[in-house]
Amino acid sequence: MTAMTAAPARPRAPRAASAAPLTAARLLRIELRRNAMPWVLPLIAALFWFDSYRPSTGQPPFYLLRTFWNMGQGHTIIDFGPFVAGVAAWMGSRDGRRRTRDLVTVVPRARYTAQLATWAATAIWAVGAYLVCVGVMFAVYAHQGVAGEPPWWWVAVGATAVAAFSAAGFAVGVFFSSRFAAPLAAFAGFFAMAESSQTGFRDSGGWALILPTNSNGNFQPDSGIFYRYLPDLPIARLMFLGGIAVAALGLLGLPAWAGGPRLRRAAAVITVAGVAATGTAVGLASTARLSPHGIVIPALHDAASDQPIRYAPVCGRAAGVPVCLNPAYRPYLADVTAALAPALREVSGLPGAPVRVSQVGALYDYSNGVGSEAMTITGHPPLLSLPLGATLGTLPGPTGDPGPDGRHHHRASATGAFDQTLGLLFAHAFVGAGNRAGTPAQQAVQASLMQGMGIPLAAQPSVLNFGPPSWAPAGKSASGPVYVAARRLTALGPAARQAWLATHLTALRSGQLTLGQLP
Amino acid sequence: MNVEISDLTRRFGRTQAVAGVSLETGPGVFGLLGPNGAGKTSLLRMMATVLPPTSGRLRLLGRDPGSFGPRREIRRRLGYLPQSLGYYPGFTVAEFVEYFALLKEMPPGQVPRAVAATLEQVGLGDKARAKLRTLSGGMLRRAGIAQAIVNHPELLLLDEPTAGLDPEQRVAFRALLRDLGQRATVVVSTHLVEDVGAACTEVALMERGKIVFHGTPAELIARGEGTAAAGDAPLERGYSAVLSAARSATPAPAPAPASAPTVAKAPPA
Repeated sequence: MTAMTAAPARPRAPRAASAAPLTAARLLRIELRRNAMPWVLPLIAALFWFDSYRPSTGQPPFYLLRTFWNMGQGHTIIDFGPFVAGVAAWMGSRDGRRRTRDLVTVVPRARYTAQLATWAATAIWAVGAYLVCVGVMFAVYAHQGVAGEPPWWWVAVGATAVAAFSAAGFAVGVFFSSRFAAPLAAFAGFFAMAESSQTGFRDSGGWALILPTNSNGNFQPDSGIFYRYLPDLPIARLMFLGGIAVAALGLLGLPAWAGGPRLRRAAAVITVAGVAATGTAVGLASTARLSPHGIVIPALHDAASDQPIRYAPVCGRAAGVPVCLNPAYRPYLADVTAALAPALREVSGLPGAPVRVSQVGALYDYSNGVGSEAMTITGHPPLLSLPLGATLGTLPGPTGDPGPDGRHHHRASATGAFDQTLGLLFAHAFVGAGNRAGTPAQQAVQASLMQGMGIPLAAQPSVLNFGPPSWAPAGKSASGPVYVAARRLTALGPAARQAWLATHLTALRSGQLTLGQLP
Repeated sequence: MNVEISDLTRRFGRTQAVAGVSLETGPGVFGLLGPNGAGKTSLLRMMATVLPPTSGRLRLLGRDPGSFGPRREIRRRLGYLPQSLGYYPGFTVAEFVEYFALLKEMPPGQVPRAVAATLEQVGLGDKARAKLRTLSGGMLRRAGIAQAIVNHPELLLLDEPTAGLDPEQRVAFRALLRDLGQRATVVVSTHLVEDVGAACTEVALMERGKIVFHGTPAELIARGEGTAAAGDAPLERGYSAVLSAARSATPAPAPAPASAPTVAKAPPA
């Protein structure tokens, strides 16, 4: 055995502590420049346009309604998630596919560090693209005059969901490093989203609320207008998605090839922390309950979030009665006053007739659906509280959707339905039926009042369909004792009917009158 | 000694790729010769700390690579060119070399200059901004050599470094090897004996996982003199003579694998 003379080891420059961030920055710069994510961003942007933005423009110009379509129901996450997971898996599987494992193993820097740099670049592209898409969409909404506050918490949830998809996909790529990792991760991401959406349609409470595409936790008609978007559920979802991301990234540091014992211990702690955050979030979501302002999670709730948004109302007049709306509803003021005028004229001069109409925030009732919240007439002098947000489905006016001519569409075809809905809600409130169908006498007076407002008796059964099922009298045609009594009351003429109502309104509202006691 | 190997073995299941190799070497160019499947790549991968040995003693740069701390220190001073070079096709040549310089914990301030100098050394200065996917096989090999030497390693392990290089590049590469061997231990695994003759100061010949010859190129040439061994050049005749002698002394117990398995176990961190 021949041995050559050993030379003394050359002295090495000591490694400065400040070198680590600079090295990480340089690695990140290379990874950002050579990442695969930008190649799929045009596809994601096109999907975002057609699936998330474009359909939302058919909604009335409120941030809540526009973004409920694309963010509340999780479309933006569905558009990004599977692609991001697939590309992240492609990047994660790079060393396996490119046969560079030996090269990245024989370096002193932990492989975990290099992998984190690759993932970070992937996530930066994905999350950045998500924020740009949402930012552009909000800018277009603002240009279209969309009212209310943007749901920033939903944006944060969406961005975190994209980061979680990138982390989970990357982990799939690292542990199953073949060319099939990308389609596998993309399909798994799509399947997870589809399953999450189905669970969202099925479950309106409990742990399922933690799923970011579960729309049940996201909708309150006047969020961002009368009251703020409650952050409780978004915070829990951030914990859930952040926990998934952290756990997935922690897993990368567990194998022997990832790095030294200290690093692997740290990775184990990170993994456990991620899993704990995810589990805690699920537990918190299962304690959620619906409040007038949205989903409340007691452990996360801050009473300051319940404070209403202050505003200066915009007012008009209907039959001489002031009608005041939240400024977000300014485009609908003329439609509302026009719809309420016949109703207010019909009861004008009666002791219980409202002297002022004021809009109040509406509450979505998951059991009955939107529109279930009745108008109320309370106080002395009587004040009509109008939860206009409950009639969002029939709102006329601008949609904010620019047509081929560049001008905004007007939902004129909905005007008739809107007038009839408001007429029904008003008459229902006036007879004191509350949130139920009311007594037969109340139903008969309601029908007669609606006839006076210009809604024929024959058309009323279909109008009643706008209300919850419990409001509609039996039968689909205007027949039966209720309508017989209504015809009798209508035949009296306006003056005689007003006189009878002035005398009997209190008894009618308290539910003491029977059909036989009607004139 | 920069490399101290004693009774080193490596098994892949029932196949013994390296069967009790002992070796010591310091600075200079060390040639590792042998036919396909002789165990060269497995030995080199153990020296590169990619593979842990099944048994035996391995010390590199005065340290035991079996422990994490020393292994990390060895890797900081190591350069390695695998037989089958993996690369990232979307990276430019400069980015590829810079990437590995950063992973080798070079001070980031020194990296750009080191990358540029290394690319000039391997003759890729004018291709620094070319994507790796656009390079020829020979250029890729040189890019691989560049990433191996960018950190000025004290122990440089090159597995078939001249594969794919044209004659002119091969001559230039041998000059580079001689230069590197002035200050580092360079172990070159090859089956091209002319590379050994031109660049190596010391040579070992492997057959069936064992070292069957260890000496200078001149001593290998001497083994072939006066024999009827096949070969067009003196070194080739020496190579053939040593192999024939080894094979006749120990008949093969079992069919040798066509090539040594490359990955059988997760490499150490």
